[in-house]
Amino acid sequence: MRGSINRPPTPDTEEDREQELSLQEIINIKMIESGELERLKELLRERLIECGWRDEMKSICRAFVRKKGRNNVNVDDLIQVMAPKGRGEWFFVVSPFSRGLTPSIPDSVKAELLHQIQTFLKSAIP
Amino acid sequence: MSMANDDNTPSLSQMSSNIFGDLLDSIIVDVSSECHRIARLGLDRNLEEEEEELRLSTQARARVADPSNNGETNTKSVVDIFGQTPPAVASEIFECMNCGRSTVAGRFAPHLEKCMGKVRKARLKATRSSTASQNRYSRESPVSTYSPYSSSNRIANGGTPVSGEDYRDGSFEEL
Repeated sequence: MRGSINRPPTPDTEEDREQELSLQEIINIKMIESGELERLKELLRERLIECGWRDEMKSICRAFVRKKGRNNVNVDDLIQVMAPKGRGEWFFVVSPFSRGLTPSIPDSVKAELLHQIQTFLKSAIP
Repeated sequence: MSMANDDNTPSLSQMSSNIFGDLLDSIIVDVSSECHRIARLGLDRNLEEEEEELRLSTQARARVADPSNNGETNTKSVVDIFGQTPPAVASEIFECMNCGRSTVAGRFAPHLEKCMGKVRKARLKATRSSTASQNRYSRESPVSTYSPYSSSNRIANGGTPVSGEDYRDGSFEEL
């Protein structure tokens, strides 16, 4: 804090927030530059295909499209509908399109990804 | 496991979860935009179930109406539109090409076992080498029709088609 008595105090939160962002930004940049982000994304994509999550998602999409009419489908609407389903937020999933179907991400997949992310974070954080 | 001194800096596990969430979100967007594209471009052939059923029924009708298809062939190799398989015992009656007896198709194989044995001994002396090569070829060829005449033409194992051997080829095919 370099504030002097004569100067009106600079709000602290701004600086703190900047530092907080910097840390996450630093991590982000490191992840992208090292190619780790892309690698993790591909890994997750592959696991989600293997466990059938992607097929379930596509099935829900088709149900949505069928209901709405092929030409009335808006990509933003679709994403709005698919996101909670994909994340497994089942309490939001009371939709007419696919009542019973909630694509779940196996715990093993989640654990694997989280583990790899954490490993990277530990090496990336000074 | 928190590395934070204050509440604003997220913990390691929190950061990992956030990153995982971002990865997942971007994949969700990918899937959604792909499905959107398929929907808009009409690339999904099965989208409307009625269209699909219509298409399948048209195909089935074409198959049934096609005169060049042997009816037995269709029922033997394809499940029909009701999901039924043809009866286990084929009831069609025809003439055994070896001995000339009228035989029920479902009993043709056991009949051949006896029928072939008697004929083979009689012909063995004269046609030993050509029998061996023809047996080899007939085993490899795919089963398609009952007609012994067309199959013998197809297999045309070099050399004069002696009637007995050619019929045998056709028979082995069907087995």
